[in-house]
Amino acid sequence: MILIISLCKEKISEFEFVRPLEKLVGKCAVRNVRDVKENDIRDAKKIILSGTALADFEYLNHDFSWLKKTEKPVLGICAGMQVIAQAFDIPLEKKTTIGVKSVEVIKENKLAEGSFNAYFLHTLTGSGDFDVLATSEGVPCMIKHPKKEIYGCIFHPEVMNEQIIARFLER
Amino acid sequence: MMLGVLYSGGKDSTLALMKAKESHEMACLISIVSQNEESFMFHTPNIDITLLQSQAMELPLVRVVTKGEKEKELVDLKRALTEAKSRFKIEGVVTGAVRSTYQASRIQQLCHELDLWCFNPLWLKDQVELLSEVVERKIVAVIGGVFAESLDESYLGKPIDAKMVARLAKVAAVYHINPAGEGGEIETTVLDAPVFKKRIEITKSDKKFANGSGLFTIVDAKLVSK
Repeated sequence: MILIISLCKEKISEFEFVRPLEKLVGKCAVRNVRDVKENDIRDAKKIILSGTALADFEYLNHDFSWLKKTEKPVLGICAGMQVIAQAFDIPLEKKTTIGVKSVEVIKENKLAEGSFNAYFLHTLTGSGDFDVLATSEGVPCMIKHPKKEIYGCIFHPEVMNEQIIARFLER
Repeated sequence: MMLGVLYSGGKDSTLALMKAKESHEMACLISIVSQNEESFMFHTPNIDITLLQSQAMELPLVRVVTKGEKEKELVDLKRALTEAKSRFKIEGVVTGAVRSTYQASRIQQLCHELDLWCFNPLWLKDQVELLSEVVERKIVAVIGGVFAESLDESYLGKPIDAKMVARLAKVAAVYHINPAGEGGEIETTVLDAPVFKKRIEITKSDKKFANGSGLFTIVDAKLVSK
Protein backbone atom coordinates (compact mmCIF):
# COMPACT_ATOMS: atom_id res chain seq x y z
CA MET A 1 0.00 0.00 0.00
CA ILE A 2 1.19 3.53 -0.81
CA LEU A 3 1.07 5.86 2.19
CA ILE A 4 0.42 9.57 1.69
CA ILE A 5 1.33 11.65 4.73
CA SER A 6 -0.51 14.98 4.76
CA LEU A 7 1.64 17.78 6.15
CA CYS A 8 -1.34 20.15 6.24
CA LYS A 9 -2.17 21.89 9.50
CA GLU A 10 -5.56 23.00 8.16
CA LYS A 11 -7.98 20.38 6.88
CA ILE A 12 -9.14 22.65 4.07
CA SER A 13 -5.58 22.63 2.63
CA GLU A 14 -5.92 18.88 2.06
CA PHE A 15 -8.36 19.54 -0.81
CA GLU A 16 -5.51 21.37 -2.52
CA PHE A 17 -2.39 19.39 -1.59
CA VAL A 18 -3.53 15.85 -0.72
CA ARG A 19 -6.67 15.04 -2.78
CA PRO A 20 -4.84 15.57 -6.11
CA LEU A 21 -2.15 13.11 -4.95
CA GLU A 22 -4.78 10.57 -3.88
CA LYS A 23 -6.35 10.84 -7.32
CA LEU A 24 -3.00 10.16 -9.02
CA VAL A 25 -1.97 7.32 -6.70
CA GLY A 26 -5.29 5.47 -6.65
CA LYS A 27 -5.60 2.93 -3.85
CA CYS A 28 -3.65 4.33 -0.92
CA ALA A 29 -3.66 5.10 2.79
CA VAL A 30 -3.74 8.75 3.89
CA ARG A 31 -2.66 9.94 7.32
CA ASN A 32 -2.22 13.43 8.65
CA VAL A 33 1.24 14.04 10.11
CA ARG A 34 -0.40 14.48 13.52
CA ASP A 35 -1.88 10.97 13.39
CA VAL A 36 0.74 8.87 11.60
CA LYS A 37 1.81 5.77 13.58
CA GLU A 38 4.87 3.57 13.43
CA ASN A 39 2.90 0.72 11.88
CA ASP A 40 1.63 3.04 9.11
CA ILE A 41 5.25 3.55 8.05
CA ARG A 42 6.05 -0.15 8.53
CA ASP A 43 3.10 -1.31 6.41
CA ALA A 44 3.72 1.14 3.57
CA LYS A 45 5.35 0.05 0.33
CA LYS A 46 6.24 3.60 -0.65
CA ILE A 47 5.60 6.93 1.06
CA ILE A 48 4.67 10.36 -0.31
CA LEU A 49 4.98 13.44 1.91
CA SER A 50 2.55 16.11 0.69
CA GLY A 51 2.96 19.86 0.34
CA THR A 52 0.85 22.37 2.23
CA ALA A 53 -0.20 26.02 2.23
CA LEU A 54 2.52 28.63 1.81
CA ALA A 55 1.71 30.15 5.22
CA ASP A 56 1.86 26.77 7.00
CA PHE A 57 5.07 25.84 8.85
CA GLU A 58 3.63 23.56 11.51
CA TYR A 59 4.99 20.44 9.79
CA LEU A 60 8.51 21.52 10.76
CA ASN A 61 7.65 20.79 14.41
CA HIS A 62 6.95 17.10 13.84
CA ASP A 63 9.33 14.18 14.27
CA PHE A 64 10.60 12.75 10.99
CA SER A 65 13.61 10.90 12.44
CA TRP A 66 12.15 7.67 10.96
CA LEU A 67 13.32 8.95 7.55
CA LYS A 68 16.92 8.25 8.56
CA LYS A 69 16.12 4.62 9.39
CA THR A 70 13.65 3.69 6.67
CA GLU A 71 14.57 1.70 3.58
CA LYS A 72 11.21 2.51 1.93
CA PRO A 73 11.15 4.74 -1.16
CA VAL A 74 10.00 8.23 -0.16
CA LEU A 75 8.98 11.21 -2.27
CA GLY A 76 8.74 14.55 -0.45
CA ILE A 77 6.87 17.29 -2.28
CA CYS A 78 7.63 20.91 -1.33
CA ALA A 79 7.04 20.91 2.46
CA GLY A 80 7.78 17.17 2.16
CA MET A 81 11.21 17.94 0.71
CA GLN A 82 11.80 20.40 3.53
CA VAL A 83 11.13 17.78 6.22
CA ILE A 84 13.44 15.35 4.42
CA ALA A 85 16.14 18.03 4.47
CA GLN A 86 15.51 18.71 8.14
CA ALA A 87 15.63 15.01 9.02
CA PHE A 88 19.06 14.72 7.38
CA ASP A 89 20.35 17.89 9.11
CA ILE A 90 20.37 19.90 5.89
CA PRO A 91 19.89 23.59 6.70
CA LEU A 92 16.81 25.22 5.14
CA GLU A 93 17.38 28.56 3.48
CA LYS A 94 14.79 31.26 2.82
CA LYS A 95 13.98 31.28 -0.88
CA THR A 96 10.53 32.22 -2.11
CA THR A 97 9.39 30.93 -5.49
CA ILE A 98 5.77 31.21 -6.62
CA GLY A 99 4.50 30.31 -10.08
CA VAL A 100 5.55 28.40 -13.18
CA LYS A 101 9.32 28.16 -13.76
CA SER A 102 11.53 26.08 -16.02
CA VAL A 103 13.34 23.05 -14.64
CA GLU A 104 16.44 21.39 -16.04
CA VAL A 105 17.41 17.85 -15.13
CA ILE A 106 21.20 17.75 -14.57
CA LYS A 107 21.66 14.19 -13.30
CA GLU A 108 20.16 11.06 -14.80
CA ASN A 109 17.46 9.65 -12.57
CA LYS A 110 14.32 7.55 -12.77
CA LEU A 111 11.79 10.33 -12.08
CA ALA A 112 12.46 13.00 -14.71
CA GLU A 113 14.54 13.91 -17.73
CA GLY A 114 15.26 16.89 -19.98
CA SER A 115 13.71 20.31 -19.44
CA PHE A 116 10.14 21.12 -18.45
CA ASN A 117 7.97 23.71 -16.73
CA ALA A 118 6.77 23.15 -13.17
CA TYR A 119 4.63 24.92 -10.57
CA PHE A 120 6.48 26.26 -7.52
CA LEU A 121 5.01 27.44 -4.21
CA HIS A 122 7.55 27.61 -1.41
CA THR A 123 9.52 29.92 0.88
CA LEU A 124 12.20 27.50 2.13
CA THR A 125 14.55 25.06 0.44
CA GLY A 126 17.78 23.14 1.01
CA SER A 127 19.78 20.38 -0.68
CA GLY A 128 22.90 19.81 1.48
CA ASP A 129 24.87 16.72 0.49
CA PHE A 130 21.97 15.07 -1.35
CA ASP A 131 22.45 14.47 -5.08
CA VAL A 132 21.00 17.37 -7.08
CA LEU A 133 18.88 15.87 -9.86
CA ALA A 134 17.42 19.08 -11.29
CA THR A 135 17.73 22.84 -10.94
CA SER A 136 15.54 25.85 -11.67
CA GLU A 137 17.29 29.16 -12.31
CA GLY A 138 20.43 27.51 -10.92
CA VAL A 139 18.81 26.49 -7.63
CA PRO A 140 18.38 22.77 -6.77
CA CYS A 141 14.73 21.75 -7.07
CA MET A 142 14.90 17.92 -7.21
CA ILE A 143 17.23 16.05 -4.88
CA LYS A 144 17.93 12.42 -3.92
CA HIS A 145 19.60 10.76 -0.99
CA PRO A 146 23.03 9.51 -2.23
CA LYS A 147 22.20 5.88 -1.43
CA LYS A 148 18.51 5.51 -0.59
CA GLU A 149 15.41 5.95 -2.72
CA ILE A 150 14.50 9.16 -0.89
CA TYR A 151 13.57 11.97 -3.26
CA GLY A 152 12.73 15.62 -2.65
CA CYS A 153 10.91 17.78 -5.14
CA ILE A 154 10.48 21.43 -4.15
CA PHE A 155 7.94 22.11 -6.94
CA HIS A 156 4.49 20.51 -7.11
CA PRO A 157 4.62 17.68 -9.70
CA GLU A 158 0.90 16.98 -9.21
CA VAL A 159 0.11 20.27 -11.00
CA MET A 160 2.05 20.00 -14.28
CA ASN A 161 4.31 16.94 -14.04
CA GLU A 162 2.15 13.98 -13.04
CA GLN A 163 4.61 11.59 -14.72
CA ILE A 164 7.11 12.23 -11.92
CA ILE A 165 4.67 10.74 -9.44
CA ALA A 166 3.79 7.90 -11.82
CA ARG A 167 7.49 7.02 -12.20
CA PHE A 168 8.01 7.11 -8.44
CA LEU A 169 5.14 4.64 -8.07
CA GLU A 170 6.49 2.25 -10.73
CA ARG A 171 7.97 -0.98 -9.40
CA MET B 1 -9.63 31.26 11.23
CA MET B 2 -11.50 34.28 9.84
CA LEU B 3 -11.54 34.09 6.05
CA GLY B 4 -12.52 36.26 3.11
CA VAL B 5 -13.67 34.66 -0.13
CA LEU B 6 -12.58 36.00 -3.49
CA TYR B 7 -16.08 35.97 -4.88
CA SER B 8 -17.13 36.29 -8.51
CA GLY B 9 -20.73 35.24 -7.92
CA GLY B 10 -20.32 32.02 -9.89
CA LYS B 11 -20.50 28.33 -9.02
CA ASP B 12 -16.79 27.85 -8.26
CA SER B 13 -16.38 30.63 -5.71
CA THR B 14 -19.70 29.62 -4.09
CA LEU B 15 -18.63 25.97 -3.83
CA ALA B 16 -15.21 27.03 -2.47
CA LEU B 17 -16.96 29.22 0.11
CA MET B 18 -19.19 26.34 1.22
CA LYS B 19 -16.22 23.99 1.62
CA ALA B 20 -14.27 26.59 3.61
CA LYS B 21 -17.25 27.34 5.83
CA GLU B 22 -17.23 23.72 7.06
CA SER B 23 -14.08 24.39 9.09
CA HIS B 24 -13.63 28.17 9.23
CA GLU B 25 -15.57 31.36 9.77
CA MET B 26 -16.48 33.53 6.79
CA ALA B 27 -15.93 37.24 7.44
CA CYS B 28 -16.60 38.78 4.02
CA LEU B 29 -16.86 38.41 0.28
CA ILE B 30 -14.25 40.14 -1.88
CA SER B 31 -15.27 41.03 -5.44
CA ILE B 32 -13.20 42.61 -8.14
CA VAL B 33 -15.25 44.36 -10.81
CA SER B 34 -13.19 44.46 -13.99
CA GLN B 35 -14.03 46.94 -16.73
CA ASN B 36 -11.87 44.99 -19.16
CA GLU B 37 -13.74 42.20 -20.93
CA GLU B 38 -10.42 40.59 -21.89
CA SER B 39 -9.11 40.35 -18.32
CA PHE B 40 -7.63 36.89 -17.60
CA MET B 41 -7.99 37.46 -13.89
CA PHE B 42 -11.39 38.86 -13.13
CA HIS B 43 -13.85 39.44 -15.93
CA THR B 44 -17.21 37.87 -15.10
CA PRO B 45 -20.62 38.59 -16.58
CA ASN B 46 -23.23 39.66 -14.00
CA ILE B 47 -20.54 40.60 -11.44
CA ASP B 48 -22.94 43.20 -10.00
CA ILE B 49 -25.11 40.37 -8.70
CA THR B 50 -22.53 39.99 -5.89
CA LEU B 51 -24.25 42.98 -4.24
CA LEU B 52 -27.45 40.92 -3.92
CA GLN B 53 -25.55 37.70 -3.12
CA SER B 54 -23.80 39.36 -0.17
CA GLN B 55 -27.20 40.43 1.18
CA ALA B 56 -28.58 36.94 0.57
CA MET B 57 -25.70 35.41 2.56
CA GLU B 58 -25.68 38.23 5.11
CA LEU B 59 -21.95 38.65 4.53
CA PRO B 60 -20.32 42.04 3.98
CA LEU B 61 -18.88 42.71 0.54
CA VAL B 62 -15.54 44.34 -0.21
CA ARG B 63 -15.97 45.56 -3.77
CA VAL B 64 -13.16 47.10 -5.78
CA VAL B 65 -13.46 48.32 -9.37
CA THR B 66 -10.46 47.83 -11.67
CA LYS B 67 -9.78 49.01 -15.19
CA GLY B 68 -8.45 45.49 -15.69
CA GLU B 69 -5.09 46.42 -17.17
CA LYS B 70 -2.65 43.51 -16.94
CA GLU B 71 -0.65 43.52 -13.69
CA LYS B 72 -2.26 46.85 -12.62
CA GLU B 73 -5.39 44.87 -11.74
CA LEU B 74 -3.24 43.03 -9.22
CA VAL B 75 -2.63 46.34 -7.45
CA ASP B 76 -6.42 46.71 -7.21
CA LEU B 77 -6.75 43.14 -5.90
CA LYS B 78 -4.09 43.89 -3.30
CA ARG B 79 -6.08 46.98 -2.29
CA ALA B 80 -9.19 44.81 -1.85
CA LEU B 81 -7.36 42.17 0.21
CA THR B 82 -5.74 44.87 2.34
CA GLU B 83 -9.16 46.41 3.01
CA ALA B 84 -10.65 43.02 3.90
CA LYS B 85 -7.76 42.33 6.26
CA SER B 86 -8.04 45.68 7.98
CA ARG B 87 -11.88 45.92 8.17
CA PHE B 88 -12.78 42.31 8.85
CA LYS B 89 -9.56 40.96 10.41
CA ILE B 90 -9.29 38.13 7.91
CA GLU B 91 -6.33 35.81 8.30
CA GLY B 92 -6.77 34.03 5.01
CA VAL B 93 -8.34 34.08 1.55
CA VAL B 94 -10.36 31.38 -0.20
CA THR B 95 -10.51 31.17 -3.99
CA GLY B 96 -12.37 29.01 -6.49
CA ALA B 97 -9.23 28.45 -8.60
CA VAL B 98 -9.28 25.06 -10.30
CA ARG B 99 -6.50 24.86 -12.85
CA SER B 100 -5.15 28.28 -13.76
CA THR B 101 -1.58 28.59 -12.50
CA TYR B 102 -1.66 32.17 -13.89
CA GLN B 103 -4.46 33.20 -11.50
CA ALA B 104 -3.43 30.99 -8.59
CA SER B 105 0.20 32.10 -8.50
CA ARG B 106 -0.71 35.78 -8.57
CA ILE B 107 -3.18 35.40 -5.71
CA GLN B 108 -0.68 33.27 -3.77
CA GLN B 109 1.95 35.99 -4.23
CA LEU B 110 -0.36 38.72 -2.93
CA CYS B 111 -1.44 36.62 0.06
CA HIS B 112 2.23 36.00 0.83
CA GLU B 113 3.00 39.72 0.68
CA LEU B 114 0.05 40.48 2.97
CA ASP B 115 0.80 37.63 5.40
CA LEU B 116 -2.50 35.88 4.63
CA TRP B 117 -3.21 32.18 4.26
CA CYS B 118 -4.46 31.14 0.82
CA PHE B 119 -6.88 28.25 0.37
CA ASN B 120 -7.94 26.78 -2.99
CA PRO B 121 -10.29 23.91 -2.11
CA LEU B 122 -11.18 23.16 -5.76
CA TRP B 123 -7.56 23.01 -6.94
CA LEU B 124 -7.01 20.31 -9.61
CA LYS B 125 -10.51 18.95 -9.07
CA ASP B 126 -11.94 16.96 -11.98
CA GLN B 127 -14.30 19.35 -13.74
CA VAL B 128 -17.21 16.96 -14.23
CA GLU B 129 -16.93 16.00 -10.54
CA LEU B 130 -16.92 19.70 -9.71
CA LEU B 131 -20.13 20.27 -11.70
CA SER B 132 -21.73 17.24 -10.04
CA GLU B 133 -20.78 18.55 -6.61
CA VAL B 134 -22.40 21.90 -7.44
CA VAL B 135 -25.62 20.03 -8.17
CA GLU B 136 -25.34 17.69 -5.15
CA ARG B 137 -24.76 20.62 -2.80
CA LYS B 138 -27.89 22.32 -4.15
CA ILE B 139 -26.15 25.36 -5.58
CA VAL B 140 -28.56 26.92 -8.07
CA ALA B 141 -26.40 28.40 -10.83
CA VAL B 142 -27.43 29.57 -14.28
CA ILE B 143 -25.20 29.96 -17.31
CA GLY B 144 -24.46 33.66 -17.70
CA GLY B 145 -22.11 33.42 -20.64
CA VAL B 146 -20.81 31.01 -23.29
CA PHE B 147 -17.49 31.61 -25.00
CA ALA B 148 -16.72 28.52 -27.09
CA GLU B 149 -17.81 27.56 -30.59
CA SER B 150 -19.28 24.28 -29.39
CA LEU B 151 -21.64 26.08 -26.99
CA ASP B 152 -24.61 27.82 -28.57
CA GLU B 153 -27.42 30.18 -27.55
CA SER B 154 -29.48 27.32 -26.10
CA TYR B 155 -27.19 27.19 -23.02
CA LEU B 156 -27.77 30.80 -21.99
CA GLY B 157 -29.75 31.24 -18.76
CA LYS B 158 -30.07 27.47 -18.26
CA PRO B 159 -29.46 26.02 -14.79
CA ILE B 160 -26.53 23.72 -13.98
CA ASP B 161 -28.55 20.61 -13.15
CA ALA B 162 -27.82 16.90 -13.61
CA LYS B 163 -29.02 17.05 -17.23
CA MET B 164 -26.76 20.04 -17.97
CA VAL B 165 -23.79 18.32 -16.33
CA ALA B 166 -24.26 15.33 -18.64
CA ARG B 167 -24.67 17.64 -21.65
CA LEU B 168 -21.53 19.65 -20.84
CA ALA B 169 -19.53 16.47 -20.17
CA LYS B 170 -20.57 15.11 -23.57
CA VAL B 171 -19.71 18.33 -25.42
CA ALA B 172 -16.38 18.55 -23.56
CA ALA B 173 -15.45 15.02 -24.58
CA VAL B 174 -16.17 15.69 -28.27
CA TYR B 175 -14.81 19.24 -28.60
CA HIS B 176 -12.05 19.12 -25.96
CA ILE B 177 -13.31 22.04 -23.93
CA ASN B 178 -13.34 22.32 -20.13
CA PRO B 179 -16.79 21.13 -19.03
CA ALA B 180 -16.85 23.40 -15.96
CA GLY B 181 -15.59 26.36 -17.98
CA GLU B 182 -12.16 26.57 -16.36
CA GLY B 183 -10.77 27.90 -19.63
CA GLY B 184 -13.44 30.61 -19.74
CA GLU B 185 -15.79 28.56 -21.94
CA ILE B 186 -18.78 29.17 -19.65
CA GLU B 187 -19.50 31.58 -16.83
CA THR B 188 -22.20 31.02 -14.25
CA THR B 189 -24.22 33.10 -11.82
CA VAL B 190 -25.47 31.67 -8.53
CA LEU B 191 -29.05 32.48 -7.54
CA ASP B 192 -29.38 30.25 -4.49
CA ALA B 193 -27.36 27.90 -2.28
CA PRO B 194 -27.69 26.44 1.22
CA VAL B 195 -25.54 29.35 2.49
CA PHE B 196 -28.07 31.85 1.09
CA LYS B 197 -30.69 32.95 3.62
CA LYS B 198 -32.76 34.38 0.76
CA ARG B 199 -32.72 33.41 -2.89
CA ILE B 200 -32.34 35.66 -5.92
CA GLU B 201 -35.20 35.96 -8.38
CA ILE B 202 -34.45 37.37 -11.82
CA THR B 203 -37.15 39.86 -12.83
CA LYS B 204 -35.61 41.07 -16.07
CA SER B 205 -32.93 39.55 -18.27
CA ASP B 206 -31.45 39.87 -21.71
CA LYS B 207 -29.84 37.35 -24.05
CA LYS B 208 -27.34 38.21 -26.75
CA PHE B 209 -25.53 35.72 -28.96
CA ALA B 210 -23.21 36.51 -31.85
CA ASN B 211 -20.00 35.19 -33.42
CA GLY B 212 -19.80 32.06 -31.30
CA SER B 213 -20.29 33.66 -27.90
CA GLY B 214 -23.20 34.91 -25.88
CA LEU B 215 -24.32 36.54 -22.67
CA PHE B 216 -27.30 36.07 -20.42
CA THR B 217 -27.38 39.41 -18.63
CA ILE B 218 -29.36 39.89 -15.44
CA VAL B 219 -30.88 43.34 -15.87
CA ASP B 220 -32.96 43.31 -12.71
CA ALA B 221 -33.28 40.91 -9.79
CA LYS B 222 -34.57 40.85 -6.23
CA LEU B 223 -34.22 38.82 -3.07
CA VAL B 224 -37.14 36.61 -2.08
CA SER B 225 -37.78 34.42 0.94
CA LYS B 226 -36.91 30.75 0.71
